[in-house]
Amino acid sequence: MINMSKAELYRIVKSRGFILFWLLSIGTLMISVIYHQTGGISLGAPLDYDESIKMDIRQTAMNFSFYFYLMIPVFTIISGEFGEHTVKNSITSAFSKRGFYVAKFFFTFVYTMLCFLAANYFFYFINKAVNGEEYSSPIGEYSKALFAQVPLFMAVVAAFIFLAFLLRKGAAFNAVTIITPILYTSVLLALYSIESTKKIATKLLNYELSTMIGKLTIDGTDSYKARCYAASAAVIVLSFALGYFSWTKREID
Amino acid sequence: MRDIVLQTRQLTKRYKNFTAVEGADMTVYKGDIYGLIGRNGAGKTTMMKLVTGLTEASEGKVTLFGKTGAAAEREKRRIGCLIENPAFFGNMTAYQNLRYYCLLKGITDLGRIDDALELVQLSDARDKKFRKFSLGMKQRLGIAFAVLDDPDIVILDEPINGLDPIGISALRDTFRRLARERGITLIISSHILSELYAVANRFLFIEQGKVLKEVTKQELDLECSRCIVVRTDDTKKTATLLEGIGIKDYKVIDGGELRVYDEGARPEVIARTLVQNDVSLVGLYESGVSLEDYFKQLVGEVSR
Repeated sequence: MINMSKAELYRIVKSRGFILFWLLSIGTLMISVIYHQTGGISLGAPLDYDESIKMDIRQTAMNFSFYFYLMIPVFTIISGEFGEHTVKNSITSAFSKRGFYVAKFFFTFVYTMLCFLAANYFFYFINKAVNGEEYSSPIGEYSKALFAQVPLFMAVVAAFIFLAFLLRKGAAFNAVTIITPILYTSVLLALYSIESTKKIATKLLNYELSTMIGKLTIDGTDSYKARCYAASAAVIVLSFALGYFSWTKREID
Repeated sequence: MRDIVLQTRQLTKRYKNFTAVEGADMTVYKGDIYGLIGRNGAGKTTMMKLVTGLTEASEGKVTLFGKTGAAAEREKRRIGCLIENPAFFGNMTAYQNLRYYCLLKGITDLGRIDDALELVQLSDARDKKFRKFSLGMKQRLGIAFAVLDDPDIVILDEPINGLDPIGISALRDTFRRLARERGITLIISSHILSELYAVANRFLFIEQGKVLKEVTKQELDLECSRCIVVRTDDTKKTATLLEGIGIKDYKVIDGGELRVYDEGARPEVIARTLVQNDVSLVGLYESGVSLEDYFKQLVGEVSR
């Protein structure tokens, strides 16, 4: 595990994915710092929030953009190996097939989550330094808002890792991960327009990813948060288990 | 008695629709340069994948350094290999790729990277990106990767593919050096018998997933040499009679067969001598084939 971490860190910093992730995440967050405006992608309804909530936390509520940014490290670490067919080198020399999966899963999981936290804290400190108290919250308050999303992003990253192991091809991984949240919203909006399914669609739209990120950060009730966290935990466990079984059952190309 | 470093017994790999390897027995001794010969699709790569753990056997067992099961799994670290095409990260240089695997394997002595590159004559391409390598350079980097942590066994799947004649010759020297200077046991697969013959000391012929024959180089030479095959009911008396007519270069084979390699020997003389001395002559004919013909004969036997 330690060896894999060292090796992967050595490789990642030389990859285009590393540069791309930091350019995109920091670059877009800096726009908010410069223009004092929140920005990002949302597939759900606009959030209702108190005007007293400062810009940094409002920006964090728009963290759905990270759904797309976090694909990059997962793609670099896992899909990259499958794309270059280097998996066989690791399995024939350093790891068993099972050991490879476990080490890769945990490294990717931890590394990607650290990237998420680092990018957000980088934004926080830069915003505080540039814009001062008027646009920034105390660190405790900001951390509370940010960490409220962490279980959700952990689930997203675990699902990404599972998909990367399952699909193997980078193009398939990108297609599935990009289209899934859009497809979810599209289907629910279609159901919303049908009278008989409107109620269920309204409920399910609350569990659309960008809505969950916003609500967990700003105005989610305790029961709503509990449901989101329970679902996140289930996704993490299922992703690990399904990824493990699909990986160990299939042949290596 | 030589140490056995790798042994397979009744190794079988079945996929949904076909059997890639069936009941394969293979024995590799320490210090061998072991040639795995078969046509494309014969099952060579699957054999290697089974041995290295890239795929799991449907039946049979692999004994590695005398260990099986989980213990053998741990011994895999003593194997260096290159299975199918050499694969590395295209955006990284030769040095960086090997450094990555040093970190992954926990190798702290980074001097081994340059040693390995020098061994395969890639020192000049140390800082060149892998994606810019020619096929021959890729093969050589694959071999450098295989020998990186000084393994006891190196398994190379079709390492001469894509190499030019000079490259093949250089690689042959590398194999000999690895065996001689580092005491590494090599298992090399190829579909080109003559190339393997130039370096290997033991051979395994495989066709349609089945092991046809496992022979030493001496046995192969014997099988392929031009000779007169004499089949009689009394090999001892036949041998005495052959020596009586001045034939010294012959070998007694199992099943009442003798092979005469003496260039001056004439079949009619042998026949007359045996008949005159009341030896029942079952068969007498000239034999001897090229390596390729020998292989074709073996393959033909299994095809029939």
